[in-house]
Amino acid sequence: MRGATFGTVLIANRGEIACRILGTLRQLGIRSVAVYTDADRRAKHVAMADAAVLVESYLDSAAILRAARLGGAEAIHPGYGFLSENAGFARECAAAGIVFIGPGVDALETMGDKIRAKKHVAEHGVPVIPGIAEPALTDEQLMAAAAEVGYPLLIKPSAGGGGKGMTTVVEQSELAEGLAASRRVALAGFGDDTLFLERLVSTPRHIEVQVLADSHGTVLHLGERECSLQRRHQKIVEEAPSVLLDAATRARIGEAACEVARSVGYIGAGTVEFLVSNDRPDEFFFMEMNTRLQVEHPVTEMVTGIDLVEWQVRIAAGEKLSLGQDDIVLNGHAIEARLYAENPSRGFLPSSGTVIAVEEPTGVGIRVDSSLIHGLPVSASYDPMLGKLIAWGADRAQALARLDAALATTTLLGVHTNLEFLQALLADAEVRAGRLDTGLIERMLGGIRFRGVDDTALVAAALYLHSQRSGPGSPWNQPSGWRVGEHRATRYNFATSATESTDVFVTGTPGDALIRVGGGLERHARFEANLELDGVLHPLAIAQSGDSIWVSERGIACELMVRDRAKQLADHRATISRPVGAADPEVRAPMPGTVVAVSVSTGDTVETGQVLLTVEAMKMEHTMLASLAGVVTITIHPGDLVRLDQVVARIDPHEGA
Amino acid sequence: METLESRVDSGDASFLANDSAQRALVTELRERVAIAALGGSEKSRQRHIARGKLLPRERIDQLLDEGSPFLEISPLAANGLYGDEAPGAGVIAGIGLVEGRHVLVISNDATVKGGTYFPLTVKKHLRAQEIAFENRLPCIYLVDSGGAYLPMQDEVFPDRDHFGRIFYNQARMSAAKIPQIASVMGSCTAGGAYVPAMSDETVIVRGQGTIFLGGPPLVKAAIGEIVTAEELGGGDVHARISGVTDHLADDDQHALQIVRDIVSTFPRPNTQAWDVVESRPPIAEESELYGVVPTDVQSPYEVREVIARLVDGSEFHEFKKEYGATLVTGFAHLHGHPIGIVANSGVLFSESALKGAHFIELCDQRGVPIVFLQNISGFMVGRDAEAGGIAKNGAKMVTAVATARVPKLTVVIGGSFGAGNYSMAGRAYSPRFLWMWPASRVSVMGGPQAASVLATVRREQLGDEWSAEDQAAFETPIREQYEAQGSPYYSTARLWDDGIIDPADTRTVLGLALDVCAAVPLEDSAFGLFRM
Repeated sequence: MRGATFGTVLIANRGEIACRILGTLRQLGIRSVAVYTDADRRAKHVAMADAAVLVESYLDSAAILRAARLGGAEAIHPGYGFLSENAGFARECAAAGIVFIGPGVDALETMGDKIRAKKHVAEHGVPVIPGIAEPALTDEQLMAAAAEVGYPLLIKPSAGGGGKGMTTVVEQSELAEGLAASRRVALAGFGDDTLFLERLVSTPRHIEVQVLADSHGTVLHLGERECSLQRRHQKIVEEAPSVLLDAATRARIGEAACEVARSVGYIGAGTVEFLVSNDRPDEFFFMEMNTRLQVEHPVTEMVTGIDLVEWQVRIAAGEKLSLGQDDIVLNGHAIEARLYAENPSRGFLPSSGTVIAVEEPTGVGIRVDSSLIHGLPVSASYDPMLGKLIAWGADRAQALARLDAALATTTLLGVHTNLEFLQALLADAEVRAGRLDTGLIERMLGGIRFRGVDDTALVAAALYLHSQRSGPGSPWNQPSGWRVGEHRATRYNFATSATESTDVFVTGTPGDALIRVGGGLERHARFEANLELDGVLHPLAIAQSGDSIWVSERGIACELMVRDRAKQLADHRATISRPVGAADPEVRAPMPGTVVAVSVSTGDTVETGQVLLTVEAMKMEHTMLASLAGVVTITIHPGDLVRLDQVVARIDPHEGA
Repeated sequence: METLESRVDSGDASFLANDSAQRALVTELRERVAIAALGGSEKSRQRHIARGKLLPRERIDQLLDEGSPFLEISPLAANGLYGDEAPGAGVIAGIGLVEGRHVLVISNDATVKGGTYFPLTVKKHLRAQEIAFENRLPCIYLVDSGGAYLPMQDEVFPDRDHFGRIFYNQARMSAAKIPQIASVMGSCTAGGAYVPAMSDETVIVRGQGTIFLGGPPLVKAAIGEIVTAEELGGGDVHARISGVTDHLADDDQHALQIVRDIVSTFPRPNTQAWDVVESRPPIAEESELYGVVPTDVQSPYEVREVIARLVDGSEFHEFKKEYGATLVTGFAHLHGHPIGIVANSGVLFSESALKGAHFIELCDQRGVPIVFLQNISGFMVGRDAEAGGIAKNGAKMVTAVATARVPKLTVVIGGSFGAGNYSMAGRAYSPRFLWMWPASRVSVMGGPQAASVLATVRREQLGDEWSAEDQAAFETPIREQYEAQGSPYYSTARLWDDGIIDPADTRTVLGLALDVCAAVPLEDSAFGLFRM
């Protein structure tokens, strides 16, 4: 490329996308300025950037502009999310004389309002899903329009996204209730209860087209991506191209996307999302346009060989696209899998923690976009996406195989991830066959058997602890269980779930051990870099953080909690004392003294902690409380003298309490 | 420092013969230890468990740090005695780690005659206390005992080294700031009540441990009071009212955790008697000890082959190699500890004894502990030897052994006969520890020699009237008696040693013991070195 575009660019983002953009800036010889929040002080993007400025929030536009001035940035790349589609921010940039790397304010505003966007593109002859999308429609108006839209239909809030507030209505009788529910959620979630209706496309596939447009009137499309593998409207696996489209449809849908871009005078990289029915692959409906770089942009880059970020920067600097539509050739196939911090075996609960080991896959055709580093805290405050693994192959099968191998050679310990789920997903026959739709994941979920904590993990964790304690030095310091006769196996106990724990017995040294898991058979194990169990090598990654031991094999990680002696005893005692309570049923006087008040009578039912009586001694009043719940027996009366330790009351616990 | 080079051929016929003979003896040892470790009969063990109690070895396992070695003392005590009804003499004793520090544990085995004290139970308990005292080891008493074994009260109760000595030792150790901790997990009757009562800190298990001077039957007989054991001396009584105990536990596990917590409050010893460097394994293979040492104590062998398999890097700085060659002396390291080695390589001559005395003095002067590897048929006899002053020269070595202040660790790897036993730190010379190999022998002389000596004396009385047949009939029982009494099992049953060990464990056992010994500062020595 010719001459420099910008001298310095600020990246108003974090995580993998900030790192991704930094990579291209470096290649282009552009100085980079990162912003970071307090929680991200040690994040990878901060370390990668040439300069970094602390901000209160990634949404704090004033702070980001101040950072741009401080860092001497001429342009701001917003990444995705945060301020990337914020027309107000784009205006503030313009006012500050800083280039916003993205489309113009008009495009942002038109496409930012989904109702407006649909209307707008429909006027330009782009097919949209039948529906009604006008501001401030009342329930009555929506109900009247529903018949024309047709069933099944979807109620969508105008504001927001991510599927929040969407309701499916199969027939007319469900409509009123659905509208009410969507309004409630939309109002609570986005502060705007504007709703619209659209036809629900059967077995829908999510296909989107990447477009690039310069400020000199050239609009290109870079082919499509299929993002049908979603769970609750969250994309998980994306690929390019889509197996659904033939060349003719590809050309038509691409042209439609370019038409959408042209209709708003789009400049830069954008994505036009379409819905295509699996049953009618030649028919597509415009859904929305994303006026920014997409998370899944790498699959397009890998099949086109075009660096989208580079073109974003060059276009923003006013350059003309040096490519024509004919120059865009789709080569091979690329698939991306998103790595999320969540626990699929526990209903995809978001997980948090600290990354204690990370190893990213490498190899031919493998690209990793991530910001993972050792020690990275993963919290609920930001997006749960940890990174993306992308594989390219000459065809889809090769790309799938490479991605599968990449997932299996990824190590990420310290936080639960969806790596195992991704492997299961790629192994699914429908996925392999390319028969995708947005409901596929929900349908296949029940059939996935997660590996969970198995013997291999238990043995590895035990030998890991064993090796931590072994080493040179005194024979006293070896966990040998040495005895004059048969040695005692060293016992390690792990909680494998909230209620279960397992003992692992180790005899010998980590390099030559006999192992028994629970009441199982004795097995031979060697533990050095990897685990060899009964002569079978298990390539493992293992790391410890506090009481947690993380073991992963072929990318599948599990967490085991070490329970030491004291913890085991505490749990044991909790179980033995629970039925009747450790509390003494006999209430004894703590001091010799005079009873001044009796608050209960024999036969009364008392609760734990309830006042039974008051004894005065040495000028102090001592209230005596029920140590457990039950029926009280008390023979003491006010004025009685009591001795030290005299039984003053007795509580018989409730049956079965 | 010179590295000992092994010259043995592990494919050699004599090596293989030694190896299989030693391994057979080790197998027998393991079997005997395993049987003794069971404790009392199946029935009495089941009864014990049914009461919600842990077996004594489980108690020790729960008390010690997970994976801790346990250097047990005389697990085969009382082996073959008391009708074989008191395995281990009904008490388990040894050194282990609690909260990372060495403690001496003494645990009654209530499955063996209710944990009552036979004469050898007392002897073992006192020996364990002696080890604790010498090595300043906190004592943990896991008490579950009915007190003295009444049918043998004359051998248990009255003498100096009988039952009362246990409490004397507790008081003396406590005075020496060696913690005394008791956990009462069963009966603690009569004299036994003093174990917790004499302890610094005491735990009792509610509904299970009892402490009283007189049990319910005695109370009824003496004063007519009818009372249950729990009312008389249960956990609630002692924790709440009498103050005999300090901690009330719900069950065995809880009690043991409380003991662990108690140990965690002890100050750590901050002295080290000598510098310990990093441990290195021997170059020569340890398990070849089986092949390099014959099981017949009369067969000679190269003791340096043994040393090469015990010491760090097989490195040995030999002292006076050319002088008094029947005694091998020199410095080495074992699991990082500096040691002096005194090992027999034949009968002791005057020169060997003088060399031994000199070397022991040297170790004492340098504060280096001494490992004795005993395989000694005795001092040289005969006119030349006597004229050469073997008696006074032997006495020098015995004196050196008796007075050296450094810890002495003795391993009887072969024969241990006559005054040779004394000069090589036999039991009477109070080595800190003494172990035997399964093929070793200990007696005043060998069986054939004893038979021959006694026959010679008798022939002098009877003259020619004594036929060869009569002499043979006279000698046979003597030989058989020496054969039986010279066995290490005979020895270990009577606490003449601290246990029989697998030769392949020798380095480990010595390493464990040296770590224990190293924590006790050495006294000052009074003399310079006397060159002999």
